Amino acid sequence: MPGKSQTFLSRLEQLMTTHLQNRPYALHLGLFIVAYVLASGFAHLLAIVPGTGISIWPASGLFMAVLILAPTYSWPWWVLAGLLAELLGNAFWFGNPLPVAVLINIGNALEAMVGAWLVKRACGRSVRLETVREVLALTVLGAGLAPIISATVGSATLAWFGIQPFATAWPIWWIGDATGVLIVAPLALVVFQNWRGSAQFSTARWVEAGILSLIFLGVAALCMSGYLPFAYIIMPPLLWAAVRFEFKGAVVTLAFLALIAGIFTVSGTSQFAGDAESQKHNQIMLQLFLAISAFSALIVAALSRQQHLAALTLRKSEHSLRELIETVPALLWRLAPDGKPTFFNKRMVEFLGFDVTEIDKTGVSRLEAIGQIAHPDDAAQLTEGLRESLATGHGFSMRHRLRRADGTYRWMSSRAEPMRDEEGKIVQWYGLCHDIEDQVSAEEALRRSERQLQQMIDAVPALIWCTTPEGTPSYINKRLAGSVGITLEELTASDASRSLVDVHVDDQPAVEQALAHSFKTGTPFAKVYRQRRADGSYRWIEGRAEPLRDPDGRIVQWYGVCLDIDELVTAQEALRQREREFSQIVNMVPVHIRRLTPEGEPTFFNKRLMDFFGLEAVSELDKPGMSRLATIIRTLVHPDEAATLLEKVRQSMTTGVPYSMKYRMRRADGAYRWVDGRAEPLRDQSGAILHWYAISVDIDDEMRAQEALRDRERELSQLVDMVPSLLWRLSPTGDPLFFSKRMVDFLGLDIGDYETPEMTGLPAAIAAVAHPDDADRLAAALNHSIATGESFSLTYRLRRNDGVYRWMSGRGEPLRDETGRIVQWYGLCHDIDDQLRVEEAVRERERALWQLVETLPAMIDCAAPDGEPIYRSQQLREFLGYNLEELDKSGRPRLEGTLDAGVHPDDLPGVKEKYAHSLATGEPYARRHRLRRHDGEYRWVETRAAAMRNAEGAIVQWNVICLDIDGEVRTQETLRLAQDSLARASQAASLAELSASIAHEVNQPLTAVVTYSSALQRWLSAEPPNIERSQSTVERIIRSANSAADVVSRIRALFRPSVAAKDCTPLGSIIMEARDLMIEEAARRRVRIDVAIESDLPPVSLDRVQIQQVLVNLIRNAAEAMSSTTGERVLGIRVIRLMGIVQIEISDRGPGVDIPERIFEPFFTTKEQGMGMGLAICRSIVESHGGRLWVEANKPHGSTFIFTLPIGEAAAAQ
Amino acid sequence: MTNQRPVVAVVDDDPRVLESLEELLEAADYSVRSFLSADLLLRAGLSGIDVLITDIGMPGMDGFELRDAVKAARPDLPVFLITGRHEITDQDRAKGIGGLFRKPFDAQILLAAIGDVLR
Repeated sequence: MPGKSQTFLSRLEQLMTTHLQNRPYALHLGLFIVAYVLASGFAHLLAIVPGTGISIWPASGLFMAVLILAPTYSWPWWVLAGLLAELLGNAFWFGNPLPVAVLINIGNALEAMVGAWLVKRACGRSVRLETVREVLALTVLGAGLAPIISATVGSATLAWFGIQPFATAWPIWWIGDATGVLIVAPLALVVFQNWRGSAQFSTARWVEAGILSLIFLGVAALCMSGYLPFAYIIMPPLLWAAVRFEFKGAVVTLAFLALIAGIFTVSGTSQFAGDAESQKHNQIMLQLFLAISAFSALIVAALSRQQHLAALTLRKSEHSLRELIETVPALLWRLAPDGKPTFFNKRMVEFLGFDVTEIDKTGVSRLEAIGQIAHPDDAAQLTEGLRESLATGHGFSMRHRLRRADGTYRWMSSRAEPMRDEEGKIVQWYGLCHDIEDQVSAEEALRRSERQLQQMIDAVPALIWCTTPEGTPSYINKRLAGSVGITLEELTASDASRSLVDVHVDDQPAVEQALAHSFKTGTPFAKVYRQRRADGSYRWIEGRAEPLRDPDGRIVQWYGVCLDIDELVTAQEALRQREREFSQIVNMVPVHIRRLTPEGEPTFFNKRLMDFFGLEAVSELDKPGMSRLATIIRTLVHPDEAATLLEKVRQSMTTGVPYSMKYRMRRADGAYRWVDGRAEPLRDQSGAILHWYAISVDIDDEMRAQEALRDRERELSQLVDMVPSLLWRLSPTGDPLFFSKRMVDFLGLDIGDYETPEMTGLPAAIAAVAHPDDADRLAAALNHSIATGESFSLTYRLRRNDGVYRWMSGRGEPLRDETGRIVQWYGLCHDIDDQLRVEEAVRERERALWQLVETLPAMIDCAAPDGEPIYRSQQLREFLGYNLEELDKSGRPRLEGTLDAGVHPDDLPGVKEKYAHSLATGEPYARRHRLRRHDGEYRWVETRAAAMRNAEGAIVQWNVICLDIDGEVRTQETLRLAQDSLARASQAASLAELSASIAHEVNQPLTAVVTYSSALQRWLSAEPPNIERSQSTVERIIRSANSAADVVSRIRALFRPSVAAKDCTPLGSIIMEARDLMIEEAARRRVRIDVAIESDLPPVSLDRVQIQQVLVNLIRNAAEAMSSTTGERVLGIRVIRLMGIVQIEISDRGPGVDIPERIFEPFFTTKEQGMGMGLAICRSIVESHGGRLWVEANKPHGSTFIFTLPIGEAAAAQ
Repeated sequence: MTNQRPVVAVVDDDPRVLESLEELLEAADYSVRSFLSADLLLRAGLSGIDVLITDIGMPGMDGFELRDAVKAARPDLPVFLITGRHEITDQDRAKGIGGLFRKPFDAQILLAAIGDVLR
């Protein structure tokens, strides 16, 4: 229990605290208590019927009004204050027992609270009693319902305590409370709400109020003093106050009425006062009177108030409407139904510069006046339009120009609509003019711009079309029409849809589908298709269309364009074809191909590579956190090579240098296969790498074969090392590749150990291991074998590792492949040192000799006794360019082969003859001839041969030496030619000098002879002839002629040959000498000289030099005569003995002599450089020897010069 | 000898040619003055001479030099050159010269030439 009481206390405390906090001002509470007590007093005053209770209970109205205005949370305070005031009133006036007073008070408080709550609930938050609804709420709920509670509680209390029966008390109680509420509550509300508001009344209102007050007081005084129905005379003034002064007036008047009624009742002058019998009835009547008055007044006041407020609102609304009209940025006007303007708004007035009223002054009808302010061009139309609208009642709408006050015209959009009353009769016309000058200008500009655009569209070299949102073609530009040869109508099908007649039949369904889709969904259209051209051809075009949408997103129009991409499509087709081919190639070639980015990331594998790896796409290889390259190399390359390959690839990517590597790649089945991989970068023009292309070729089988091969080789190598000989192997070019183990042991050197910076390969090996004396030979033999492919076989010394040279029999054979190409040289060295050491001494000497021979700076040749060459020195071989053995192939004797091949054809007969002579006789041979060098050049050589005889004197060998004397011969030749021409020149010069001198010597006497002769002629022809002078002149002629003859004699004497020089000489030797003298020149002229000298010629007495001169002269002439002979150039010399003479014939095969009888005359020549003296001198010499010189024709052509020499007497005698 | 006969001077180192020319000119009715060298002619003087005939090849002053000397003194004097050395006529300085005769010359042509210049 203590706990419970404690809880109760704390809650009470809490409640108290809350209520204390919500406590109203103490002053207000105090005033409330005072007013309540006074109201109780007033009620007591009116309680004129003892024991029947109170007739009017104003406190209830006060209480309810206070609670209506006070916040709900403060109600406890007011209730508390009401209790206090009730108890005070009870103490002052009523004297009821305390419980009765408290219970009554509880009833009153409940009444006030319920009433206040209901009224507030019905009226909303604020109760101003300005509407009928509020007044009704107060009267019905506050004054009607709420007092039921108080009356019931109060009457029950009185009945309980036995003061009064319930039925008697209840009506009076209810009416008293209701009347109190009706009269006081509005008053209290007005007082409270307007406590601070100051009512501003005009003077007229004050006067009215005063008059009303007087009338009211008068009527009140009248009505209270008499007959009961008179009481209601008070109603008109009461309602007047309520109408005119509304709520406040009604309230104040009611208060006064209540006071007056009370005063009159109390004083007993009222009709409500009376005797005790009627008092009760009267009291009820009073209560009813007051209640009805109050109710009526309040209702009327509320209605008045409501109407007043409505009128006020209407005024405000009209004001704002007018403001609206004046501020609307348009010209507004109003016409009477007959068209008479009745109103212009302010803007219109400002625009026109006059108002409606001023129109009347112009003296014309108002409708025409409107026409006058319009632009003259528009006036008639405007007037007509207005007139028609007025006549028909249809709305008016027109664009026209209107004159502004400053005289300028502006475009206006005018509209007018009639306003009709309920019957449909036109009451007014309302119109407005909207300034659309800017809009019209803009529209004009727009139209212009549209026109330009149209032109532009027609001019652009593109095919443009438009359709409606539904897809009906609405426009095609000229170019489209022209190119396709189609009109808009043709493009539009009969059902107003697109016809697509310009589209290739094959493409139509696709295009139709795409277009339909676009038009349906509003997505842009793009399609490549073939379009027909005016000439019937089809071209690929790309059709595109985009919808034009309004701001709401609705499609207004479709704009389309056809771009001619025929070339593009054709090119693309070709490109695709090419690409397909390339792609096939890339996939078909049996090579793995891949493409890498410049950073090395693979972007493409060809199909073979994909198949190899068993992949479907490159991207399958991607692993998070790892580059694709690294992934591939890690997963698909053999672990042994992966790191190296990755490094290599990365390095290539960094440096841009191609790489190449052999490595193993894992095939789809998990087997690793060797591949040869390489990559090259593809660069653009600037050199930047675009891609890397990498390939790999499967070389697995190759690698395995190599592996197997290496194994075999190892086995063989072991075998080789077991063989008890020195084995070696050379490359086809002779580089040592392999020494067997035994050979290495023997030499103490392995492959390459002998190499020095200066010398490598075979030469180095030979230098290191061969005996210095054998090195060249060994090298030569090896080189020979390597060069010719012949087997190698040689005996030579090799240096053992202890420095001792051992004789070896070396043999080598080439290993050839299928094509016969030498792959390797295999050789072995067999130790034959002991065997050879015995032979060495014997050979030493021979070798020395051979070396001597070989090293001689001459070409040496050895021949068998029959002349067949058996040996040729290196120099000779080199000169000839072939080896002796090669001669055997022809099947002829070597000598003949050599001579035929080498000796100059011109020299060949002589050489052969001389050889044959020497071989036959054993005489030494010596001859100069030309020999063909290996390069085809003929060089002069001097060949000498001598027989080597054995002890018995039989020839065992011919030793031949051949010296290259080409240089000397050529020098001699040059020298001789120089000398020759010099001699010729000097000969010519001296001859010229000589002849000039002779001519001069002869000329002088000749001149004299001629001159004298002329003189003589003159003398003789004179008249008469001067005989004396003629005589002397003739003498002088004879003298001069003799003088000339003397000159000739002297000259002859000068040239006379000396016969004393003649001796007897064998003619043959002279001829051979002459021939030898001429042989070189003849050779130079490629002339062969055949000599035939009869044997046993007798000696001939002759001048050796002169006869040789004759011979040389004739031989030279013969040789020169054949300079243009194309056939064989043969110069024949024949010497025969005839009766008493020796005849020498020199024949040639030249063109022959044209004029044989003149060629011996002096100064006759057929040669450019000749003097014409040669043959003359020859004849002179021959004749001086007593012989003759003449010329005969040779057979078949050419000529033969023949001269004879007499056989001397002594010789002839022999 | 009369003063009316034109005077022809002849210079030649060969007396046989000199005499034969003198004979010829006299036969042609000219007055002849013969000189064995150019020096002799120049010493005797050029006055009275109507035509000069001179050999080219002479010891001392040769025919060309003589001609140049005579032309300096008497530019109008006609000069005929004769020579027995034919190579002289081939020389450059002899080229294009009129009045050059090679021995043995045609006496009739020489006389005709002299006649032409004196006419």
